[in-house]
Amino acid sequence: MDMRAPAAADAATPRDGRRLPVGGWELALTALLVAVVAGFGAAAPGFYAGPASLLGLTENFLPFGLVALGLSLVILTGGIDLSVGAVASLSAVLAAQLWSRFGVDIWAASALGVAIGALLGLLNAAVILRLGIEPLIATLGTSFLYGSAAVAAAGAAPPSGFPASFTAVGTGTLGSLGPLAGLVPIQLALFAALAVLFSALVARSPFGRVLVMVGYSPDAARYSGIRTGRVLATAYAVSGAMASLAGLVLASYYDAVRPDMGDVLLLTAITMVVLGGISIFGGEGTVAGVVVSVLVLGFLRQGMLIAGFSDMVTTMLTGAILLASIAAKNLFNRRGTGLANQIWATIRRPEPPRANPN
Amino acid sequence: MSAQRDADSAMPGFYAAQGIRKSYGAIQVLKGISLDLKPGRMVTIMGENGAGKSTLFKILAGQVPPTGGTLRLAGAPVALASPSAAHARGIYLVPQEPALLPELSVAETMFVGALPTRGGPLGRRVDWAAMRARARAALDALELPIDVDRPARTLSIAQQQQVECAKALLRGCRIILFDEPTSPLTSHEVEHLFSIMRRLKADGCTLSFISHRMDEVLEISDEIAVLRDGVLVDVVARPSFDRARLLSRMVGRPLKAVPRRAASNARDEVALEVRGLSDGLRFADVGFSLRRGEVLGLAGLVGAGRTEIAETVFGVRPAAAGEVRLGGAVVTGLDCHAMIRRGLVYVPEDRARHGAVLPMTITENVTSGLLDRVRRRAGLLSARDEARISAAAVRDFRVRCAGLDQPLRELSGGNQQKVVFAKWMTTGPRVAILDEPTRGVDVGAKEDIYEMIDAMARDGMALLVISSESEELVRLCDRILSIYEGRVVAELSGADISPAAVARSYLTAAAPSGGVAA
Repeated sequence: MDMRAPAAADAATPRDGRRLPVGGWELALTALLVAVVAGFGAAAPGFYAGPASLLGLTENFLPFGLVALGLSLVILTGGIDLSVGAVASLSAVLAAQLWSRFGVDIWAASALGVAIGALLGLLNAAVILRLGIEPLIATLGTSFLYGSAAVAAAGAAPPSGFPASFTAVGTGTLGSLGPLAGLVPIQLALFAALAVLFSALVARSPFGRVLVMVGYSPDAARYSGIRTGRVLATAYAVSGAMASLAGLVLASYYDAVRPDMGDVLLLTAITMVVLGGISIFGGEGTVAGVVVSVLVLGFLRQGMLIAGFSDMVTTMLTGAILLASIAAKNLFNRRGTGLANQIWATIRRPEPPRANPN
Repeated sequence: MSAQRDADSAMPGFYAAQGIRKSYGAIQVLKGISLDLKPGRMVTIMGENGAGKSTLFKILAGQVPPTGGTLRLAGAPVALASPSAAHARGIYLVPQEPALLPELSVAETMFVGALPTRGGPLGRRVDWAAMRARARAALDALELPIDVDRPARTLSIAQQQQVECAKALLRGCRIILFDEPTSPLTSHEVEHLFSIMRRLKADGCTLSFISHRMDEVLEISDEIAVLRDGVLVDVVARPSFDRARLLSRMVGRPLKAVPRRAASNARDEVALEVRGLSDGLRFADVGFSLRRGEVLGLAGLVGAGRTEIAETVFGVRPAAAGEVRLGGAVVTGLDCHAMIRRGLVYVPEDRARHGAVLPMTITENVTSGLLDRVRRRAGLLSARDEARISAAAVRDFRVRCAGLDQPLRELSGGNQQKVVFAKWMTTGPRVAILDEPTRGVDVGAKEDIYEMIDAMARDGMALLVISSESEELVRLCDRILSIYEGRVVAELSGADISPAAVARSYLTAAAPSGGVAA
């Protein structure tokens, strides 16, 4: 080996970071999205009735997307947050009660609701870190606690009939900003802004970097001087805050709150994150993938319902697509970090030391 | 081969290894070992770290297949496909820290996989009464007062080893191998184990064990076999044991001369000072001071507590007592986050687990040691600045790679290690602890790493190097501390440093009775 040989990297062109927002999986999902939208547009009368109605369909599923964005951070750490549905319900109910019983301004109450969501997320992190309970069990447990608290806080007649400015979040458009903006639902604008923020956060922020490091290898992160507990606590707090934001958007959409309103969010949001390419073992995946996956699953569901399929068939298809895509992803995963590879790596015996490559 | 040996070798319980070889890839661990284990005799295997002792035992016990050579039992060749095949042939390996199933009773763990059953109207059922009776009888035969109904998790390591001995006998195994049984035991427990061994020997069992403790080896052995670099260099039978000869055989002399570093770069200023450091478990009362530009080595057997000392100084393990000073300031009890910011870094022994994140890119790994130094734009890491830091590191540390965005796992071990070095050295540390810096690294990269360590010392960095290769410590260090069972037992410096002296310093160490924990 000639040690004076110039290092090969001198000749390499440094690309703009590996964690590009778009990779092969994201492109495949985008192709699927185009196929879904074009397919239903052509085959299902009523799916496409102009750009405004197409974009308007997103109002039916973007609360799931908000939860998925927050949940992405937790799953990137290798954890899980099963309490998102209950957090959404509890914080929306509490915000609504603050407004209706205590006369707090609806926007101030909403801000408090998001803060409550973050606090509930911190409580999840405390249970995981201080009590040493696995995230799956810890957040399953807290989801029951939060869910019951929501029932108690809602009372017999939960608040409804919010101010019009508040219900506009769920059902209105950016119409006041100009004629073209009138096509864009407020929900979509909110989701897009947060999607860009989260993508930048994971791809290029110092927090995102350590988040991914903790997800790949908590030990290596700790030995690199990263205070892993703080990273996890932040991820769960953000997940909680995003869940409560989703709960508030649902409250605005329905113009009412119910203590079980968040229950539907959990499983669909997990599906969106996993289909988006984030590994449940942590570390692997991008927010861009999750964003596209939210749109794929959302439009698919809306298209199926418009085409007259029952909820049962739609749900069945969602499950089949999830399984088929993850199987395909594992099949084509060359980096050896896919689900199948990971499972294989844990069961096979460690390889003997490599021979001297020289 | 004598007629006498041929006659002996057909005896039941005569277990012979003939020309056993074992390679992992291109690395030869055992280079043709021929060794006879005989009924009623205790053959002890001695040797330095990495001599191949445990590998030999694993082959003898069917845990690992040999690459070449033959095993003969009572004269006939045997192939052992698995540990249970070895058990069926009467060969039993007692591991150093037996892994008894913690929630089962002692009797159950002794019969795992071979539960006694009896017939009944509903088919065969476990015969609990017979199981307990037979377990008790096996323990009684060795005069072990252990309740067979106790959960296995309540047993001490010594008792677990004793149960393993009884278990071996229960399964009809009369060839019993002990992999370094005494190192976790107190001196009293060692005596008890030896009395069991003597009883087994008198009973005609074929015994062999691995030990580093010269005194106990001389006490219990009938024959001593010395392994060095995968070769059996000596077999001595009682009564011609000779402590000095065994040591020189074990240490041996490498064929190539080991170059010593030219001159010490040590300056007067003390960079790291450790006083009376204990973790209350693996090491006690460790003290040393390390000056700028100095390279201090920690020598010792694998498991002597050197990594634990390093991790405690670095702040990833708690200290029970003692003081750590960095550049004069007391830093005891700070976590490694704080230590790194104060200029102390640690290159861990286990690269894949602690040192680097293999699926992440070279750049991401290089900057992960201290993300704060990467320039920010609107709170986000500047990709250009990261690439600049990474490109400089790759150049300075001579990393061979296809590009800065290559995942670390695609690099060779040596290049991975260079990236880990770069990760820490680009943070500008004043003190670096290097734990087995060339483990899993090829020869060319090894020399690169040695040159880097020399250069760091020249630049005034204080370095603490842990290595299990005596030659490496000789090559790198100004001064060497020898660690034995968690304590500093010797210090070598200047002209006293040689591979033989380093190895001797810990191999001859007297065992403090009972180890640290007692």
